[in-house]
Amino acid sequence: MRGRLDELRGPVPPRAHDARAIAALAANPGCARRAVLDAAGVDKDLTARHVGFPAPFGQSQFAITRGNVFEALVKENGCAELLRLLRELLGLPIAQVGYQDVESVGSHLRHSHTRALIDRAAREGDDAAVFYDHPLLSLRIAGQTSYLEPDVVAFQVGGRFHIVEIKSFAVIDGQAEPEKVAAAARQAAVYVLALRALLADLGHDPERVSHDVVLVCPENFANRPVATLVDVRRQLAVLRRQLDRMTRVDHLVEELPPGITFDLAPDSEGTPTRPAREVAGALRQVPARYAPDCLSTCDMCMFCRDEARCGGSTDQLGRQVRDQLGGVLGVDEALALAEGAAEPAEGQEEIAQLLRLAHRLREECLG
Amino acid sequence: MDALERRIADLRAEVRRAVKAREHSLARSLRGELRRMEHEWDRAVGAEELPAPEPEAPLLPIREQVHQALALLGVPAAPKLIVAVNDAFFSRALRGSQFTSLRRDEERSFRSDPYARPYYLCSALTDRLSPARGLLAVSTWAPELRVLGPLSPRVDFLTSAVRVAEHLARLPEPPPGAVRLLTRMAQNIPGAAEGFAPADPVTAIRAARAELEVHRAADAAQRAEVAARAGRLLPDVERLFGAAALGALRGAAC
Repeated sequence: MRGRLDELRGPVPPRAHDARAIAALAANPGCARRAVLDAAGVDKDLTARHVGFPAPFGQSQFAITRGNVFEALVKENGCAELLRLLRELLGLPIAQVGYQDVESVGSHLRHSHTRALIDRAAREGDDAAVFYDHPLLSLRIAGQTSYLEPDVVAFQVGGRFHIVEIKSFAVIDGQAEPEKVAAAARQAAVYVLALRALLADLGHDPERVSHDVVLVCPENFANRPVATLVDVRRQLAVLRRQLDRMTRVDHLVEELPPGITFDLAPDSEGTPTRPAREVAGALRQVPARYAPDCLSTCDMCMFCRDEARCGGSTDQLGRQVRDQLGGVLGVDEALALAEGAAEPAEGQEEIAQLLRLAHRLREECLG
Repeated sequence: MDALERRIADLRAEVRRAVKAREHSLARSLRGELRRMEHEWDRAVGAEELPAPEPEAPLLPIREQVHQALALLGVPAAPKLIVAVNDAFFSRALRGSQFTSLRRDEERSFRSDPYARPYYLCSALTDRLSPARGLLAVSTWAPELRVLGPLSPRVDFLTSAVRVAEHLARLPEPPPGAVRLLTRMAQNIPGAAEGFAPADPVTAIRAARAELEVHRAADAAQRAEVAARAGRLLPDVERLFGAAALGALRGAAC
């Protein structure tokens, strides 16, 4: 199986998943193209650019720097700011101020050190450290181990772990952009899940990881951090169900035609040399499930959107419309039904009636 | 200054009159005069703007400046805090980027000629005896001060807040930068500051000491244990710069 995935990727090291990627993966679990590319560790951004459909998103360097500066501010002096926030928010007792920087052991030992520290904290309870800075958790996704780096894990006196997520978007007058909060919550849910898996693995009660994550953001227009509790139970349930249900990747790979590969044949400087048409051809052999939400989460979105448009698929209209147009094959057929050019087949009567009504209304309004 | 401005206004009026009367040569000479006056006015304003001379380039080398800040704080500190203290009280010429090779240079110097300098800027040690990331200490401090337990970051933060406040209280005219630094620290100590108002050193000291009392005993015990272990297990150079088992990582951690 591993050999087959290596073959799909070509002679380059695999790309690792991060929490954002996992959250996005769970957002569209039916997409075989994304599942296969991710499982094989293909560099989707490079592939998309090579086939001529660069994705219009990605974090700007300024945003990354801003995020790092804000995170450093919250964590400086032994998490002094964070301590104040948690004392206000969770009523953390004055005596609970422990701080362990997991990164002090060096990157190759971080995961095992995190395990050891969390194990000790779970066994000893109160007198263990409160903050674990730079922990490294792992989560098995589609047969692959992904390593995740939450911002901070905080340990509460009630014997419950809380994930702290530090984000640099502003909370203005108690309101933040709902989209960004939702993305942060999805990402934090991945961490909660990973930490729960770790606790279960160590033989502790996984429920000791709280489903309330602490979201730290700058308040109003200043740089002063403010903390809020975000309940991620819904995101957790969605994530868990979708990860469980996620089409097993070995099953998908087995169905691929033999000899298919997404190898870009990069030269010594990493510039792809394989003809773009060949790569695009290989990509088309794996079915995608495009939805407009992909535009904000997947590098391949433009490629898939183009494909959906060319094929006249109803996917491009969004999940809700696609589901309503259940028995209809494509946009052309839907239009034909609406204009009365085609007779509804069996089972299409209801949707045809709706489409005709919509068409008549449109004609009356605009015609 | 006022006289100059009056003269400029008069000159402008004269220029206007001269132009209206088509007396070109007079207008030209008046314009020259006006430009001279304006130039003088610019200079006068510039002189008023900068009454204090530019801060002199400090004569102390970087390690001395860092030592000065660390001596004020009295506990291991991150470069960011050292720069802030230097900015608030001393030369204001220290920059974060100057720290990159500092600790490595100190270690090299110690290895080639141990104890040749009166002090070295060294690492604080974690409870695994590895160098703590991004914390600088002074070699002449007691071993207990140079190691960290889980509570130490908080204890050191409170101690440094007390030290900054004490130093501030000693100054007849506290520099505004230093008051801001203390305020920023005090905002994270319960009962030390109210909202965004400038912190009062006496209140800040009292509040920080109150919280220190809670942690002191436990922290001292943990630190004594780590320090004893370091003294038992490590050779001199590693006692200052961290255990060699992680030596390969030290460059990255600096």
